[in-house]
Amino acid sequence: MIIDVHAHWGPWFFTMDVAEANLATMDRYGIDISIVSATEAVIYDAAAGNRALASWLAVQDEERSAGTGASSRSGDGSEEHPSARRHFGYVTINPRRLAEAERDLSEYLPTGRFVGVKIHTDYTRSPADSRRVRDALGLVAAAGVPALVHTWGASVLDLAQTCLDIPGLRVIAGHMGADGFTHAIEAANACDRLYLEPCYSHAPTGRIAQVVAGTDTARLLFGTDSTLIDPASVVGALAAANLDAETAEAIAWRNAAQLFDLGITA
Amino acid sequence: MTAFDARKLVGELEVTLDVDVLVGAYPDRDGPPGTPESVLGTLAEQRIRTGAIASLRAALFDMRSGNDEVLTLASAHPLDGRREPLVSPETVPPSPSDASAAGPMAAITPAVVPVGTVDLRDPVGAVREIDRLVPLGVKAIRLFPDEQGVEAGFPSVRHVARKAAALGLVVLTGGDVRRFWQPFSGLDAKVVFLDTHFYHLGDFLVIAADEPGFHTSTRLLNSPDALETVPPDRLLYGSRTPHYEPVVPLLRLATSGLNPHEIAAVAGGNAKRLLG
Repeated sequence: MIIDVHAHWGPWFFTMDVAEANLATMDRYGIDISIVSATEAVIYDAAAGNRALASWLAVQDEERSAGTGASSRSGDGSEEHPSARRHFGYVTINPRRLAEAERDLSEYLPTGRFVGVKIHTDYTRSPADSRRVRDALGLVAAAGVPALVHTWGASVLDLAQTCLDIPGLRVIAGHMGADGFTHAIEAANACDRLYLEPCYSHAPTGRIAQVVAGTDTARLLFGTDSTLIDPASVVGALAAANLDAETAEAIAWRNAAQLFDLGITA
Repeated sequence: MTAFDARKLVGELEVTLDVDVLVGAYPDRDGPPGTPESVLGTLAEQRIRTGAIASLRAALFDMRSGNDEVLTLASAHPLDGRREPLVSPETVPPSPSDASAAGPMAAITPAVVPVGTVDLRDPVGAVREIDRLVPLGVKAIRLFPDEQGVEAGFPSVRHVARKAAALGLVVLTGGDVRRFWQPFSGLDAKVVFLDTHFYHLGDFLVIAADEPGFHTSTRLLNSPDALETVPPDRLLYGSRTPHYEPVVPLLRLATSGLNPHEIAAVAGGNAKRLLG
């Protein structure tokens, strides 16, 4: 069982054609469930992207119910195991547009198809310690779901302070600071509601092993950045860390299942 | 075996020549020491049969003594011929998660192709060092513009590029491909861009279309379709062992959409064609 907490649905603006690659890519690496944000929502228009993702997730549900879709683990009419669903969604929030955010949270979270919030600090030019990100994360805390927040370098420390300042908030530091992974260790140790997700297009030697050695492994998650980055990047980096079986299982799915309350125990 | 069992996905794939291997350490990073023994051990563990190795000592401090270090290593581990058993099974500990992973691979003693390093901060000395290295059998030089704080437009880069092209040397270069293509253009140069990121794949493709000698490393081409987009005769496996995890580009290549013939070319065939 593998749960990918950092994945995407939709096209990218780079020289790549991967909009339809999600399921095939998941299957290649044994990824059972991906929690995805719409690329349109992350990069350009949060409301439009959330709306498109909601429609697509609804279609996946209909196809699964009918037993016709590729995005299915069952389809025989029996009661569905949570892991039958291959995709859950993130409601993407642009911290500059909080009225839209409130509306989208109230519309999409109750569907059960969305289980968290995504905030990209760079595309919205909204630092993790800015007033507007704090306000956005206040909405997230009130909604009671985790937020995946893009972090790079030392910004993961700013996210930790923001998380400490907002009671009840649970945040995932996307990329765990990328090249700033030593800051991520410090951040995770400073705030016990901050989780680390490791995807990164670079694979400096020992990055994963250092983070595993320096943090509470109950707060380490698996994420790929697929379909932007192939899962080979993070799977290879995790393989190189030579994790023991218990730690690998916690990172692969147990921690995510608990954090997102997915109802999966085995 | 855990959920992150790369060896199962890599299967029988072996790299016959890795174009991006270093000995030495970065003084500004907490990375591995990069001793020759540990570097060859890492290559052996990943079934990488040959490394095109350059010296960080040469890149950061002293060209001549750093390059001599690599030449000595290559003479002990020639591409064809008997090699000293520098790597023994005992020096390559098995993975705790899969003890079988390192067993038979550890018996491989990788060969070394020497790569001469020149310092772009000293273009006069760089050309002098090239003239010293070529009679010693060196067929490729490596540039470290990022580490040396050198930009693509600096005169030294064009100076070294002209010298290398005139001698038919292969240039292995770091730096942003969107900028470092320029000093090599129009020279009929043979260049491998070692830092091509998939974000910049489109830029590489359009310049490579005009320059038949331009190639790219696979190291940072880790989007879901980058390897499948570059012409396979322009792709070379590069790992940056020991400062990057070699299993990442290995896994990406093994799970790519390339056919077995293309994978073999990327895993070393193209590099052998270039490096002779």
